[in-house]
Amino acid sequence: MAAATVRTAVIVGGNRIPFAKVGGPYAPASNQDMLTAALDGLVARFGLAGQQLGEVAGGAVLKHTRDFNLTREAVLGSALSPHTPAVDLQQACGTGLEAVIYVANKIALGQITTGVAGGVDSASDAPIVVTEGLRRALLRANRAKRPLDRVKALASIRPRDLAPVPPAVVEARTGLSMGESQAITTRKWGITREAQDELAAASHTNLARAWSEGFFDDLVTPYLGVTRDTPLRPDTTAEKLAALRTVFGRGDDATMTAGNSTPLTDGAALVLLAEEGEARARNWPVLARLVDAEVGASDYVTGAEDLLLAPTHALPRLLARQGLTLADFDLVEVHEAFASTVLANLAAWEQAGLGVVDRTRLNVNGSSLAAGHPFAATGGRIVATLAKLLHDRGPGSKGLISICAAGGQGVTAILEAM
Amino acid sequence: MARVTLDALPGVPALLARAAAPSLRRPDADHAVLDRTVLVHGYRSEPERLAAYARVCGFTLRDALPATWLHVLTFPLQAWIMSRSDFPFALPGMVHLSNDMTLHRGVGGREPLTLEAGAMNLRPHTRGATVDLVGRALVDGELVWEGTSVYLAPGTSMPGEPVQGLRLDAPHVEPSQLWQLPADLGRQYARVSGDINPIHLSPLTARAFGQKRTIIHGMWTHARALAALEGRLPDSFRAEVQFTKPLSLPGSARFGASESDGGTGFVVTNPDASKPYLIGRLGRDAGR
Repeated sequence: MAAATVRTAVIVGGNRIPFAKVGGPYAPASNQDMLTAALDGLVARFGLAGQQLGEVAGGAVLKHTRDFNLTREAVLGSALSPHTPAVDLQQACGTGLEAVIYVANKIALGQITTGVAGGVDSASDAPIVVTEGLRRALLRANRAKRPLDRVKALASIRPRDLAPVPPAVVEARTGLSMGESQAITTRKWGITREAQDELAAASHTNLARAWSEGFFDDLVTPYLGVTRDTPLRPDTTAEKLAALRTVFGRGDDATMTAGNSTPLTDGAALVLLAEEGEARARNWPVLARLVDAEVGASDYVTGAEDLLLAPTHALPRLLARQGLTLADFDLVEVHEAFASTVLANLAAWEQAGLGVVDRTRLNVNGSSLAAGHPFAATGGRIVATLAKLLHDRGPGSKGLISICAAGGQGVTAILEAM
Repeated sequence: MARVTLDALPGVPALLARAAAPSLRRPDADHAVLDRTVLVHGYRSEPERLAAYARVCGFTLRDALPATWLHVLTFPLQAWIMSRSDFPFALPGMVHLSNDMTLHRGVGGREPLTLEAGAMNLRPHTRGATVDLVGRALVDGELVWEGTSVYLAPGTSMPGEPVQGLRLDAPHVEPSQLWQLPADLGRQYARVSGDINPIHLSPLTARAFGQKRTIIHGMWTHARALAALEGRLPDSFRAEVQFTKPLSLPGSARFGASESDGGTGFVVTNPDASKPYLIGRLGRDAGR
């Protein structure tokens, strides 16, 4: 095989549907509906109807087994050529950004010249799982050759097996919910309630400003009558947030509230990528290139490290490889799983000797606390937002993305405006 | 021509009950006058019901409304007309022979619609008489969708030469899809469409109205066929379908489509592809 020249993968644009709180206007919509809606909008925005793209990569975190080909099904329901292949990826909240990295890598290697990446999640239309006892009994009955064996298998079902198991964002190995895990980290790193509420209020203020400035006009397509992210509260303040009662952590020093934690959200977001020459030939906008990416993982199971601080493992390797420091970035996007996750990550980066993030460059158009966080959709939202922000600042502007994910993983990436 | 404006879409069950009542005063087919249009203004689709309709028929839930959903919205108005005492036929027992709809442009789920229905073209048929129920959807006076449903009143005598209805040729194509239709599909579709004709609900009610088995609504089969072509549907199109045989529940059916320059021909058949249930043609919008 001939040595491949590395090509430049650029972000052309993005499209998402407004994010909506769980049980809200998107409750009747499935992951496939929302992903198709986001794809429809992208196709319309860039005139892709009937076109064959290199690949569409996407995924969902809360996913029905029937959706094993979720992204391909969305492509087939869209106006894209049915000859466009698609792949489902999943890495918890890192899914969307990993999908972008996957497509950008294929472009860089010359395997494809165009691609779409992102994700979708519905907390409203989440799969309800049967209990382990019922599942095993049904499988046994299904395997049984003789009617008596089938009856025996079914007779082993106990009443307690019949209760449905609703999905929970719980770590398999610790049994702790995301919020409970983060409460441990919050206390360990001494993140104050005030700092969390301030960060949350800033997220709402910044996102509200971005919406009112029309920043999202070419990044969002309304869906089912929703025209703006519904978790957004433009008039919230740190004082108002300070009045909320705590929901995660125990004791008097608990600090995490529904106001400084992301709400469960429904939504979908996609990014259009292309090889630079291809984008220019098609007269597509060339917003930013994906410079590099790195994924890290933390040793959280026994409590040695923190579940949501894995970006701290990825970032030093990424910065060293690129010869950059935190001070080199014009903008930094740290996914706001919880306000304290952002603050603990920043503290950990500082402790690791990576430097200090200038807070005026952090999440300047708001992030997940205000927009909401449909798990797999967050990466696409951040990449499209950051690419546009960097492009507005001019060529050479650099941006850093950090997304923490369940399983103690963290995805980081660098974009640079073209 | 009389135009009757209703405050809201009428409830279909009461209309069907009324239409089923034996009426001695129905005019003869050849004396009936059908000069009436019934309409409602400012209708907006209910998201939950639209979502349920999309699920039952296989559509993706989008902002743009499925063309067949606009038919569903005009159906209560059709039923209103057919339940009037001066309508020449009793609604139960009427057979939906064919349908012809044109979507003039994509219609958003939030757009307020004026919905209209009227009846016209009473014609003799070899098996009785047929009548056209015509529906229209308008946004701010702009015609965005129109459809014609041809119904047969079997056994009705009407003077004159029988008129040939829509006859489509099934495309010669190997079916590419297999659909499984559960026993309760008629009830599912009745819930989302409001068409509670008893022949679609259960074997018992179907038998009471002269069908051997429950049969699925023709407009479900039509909608499912358009959903099968979903990724290829343009913003505006004309879809003509002929309902050739009733499709019994529970059951399975095959679907095939063939594209050509003139449009897309499609067919829904029985499993061995020997008996078409629905033959359809998808073409360009011929204009308003």
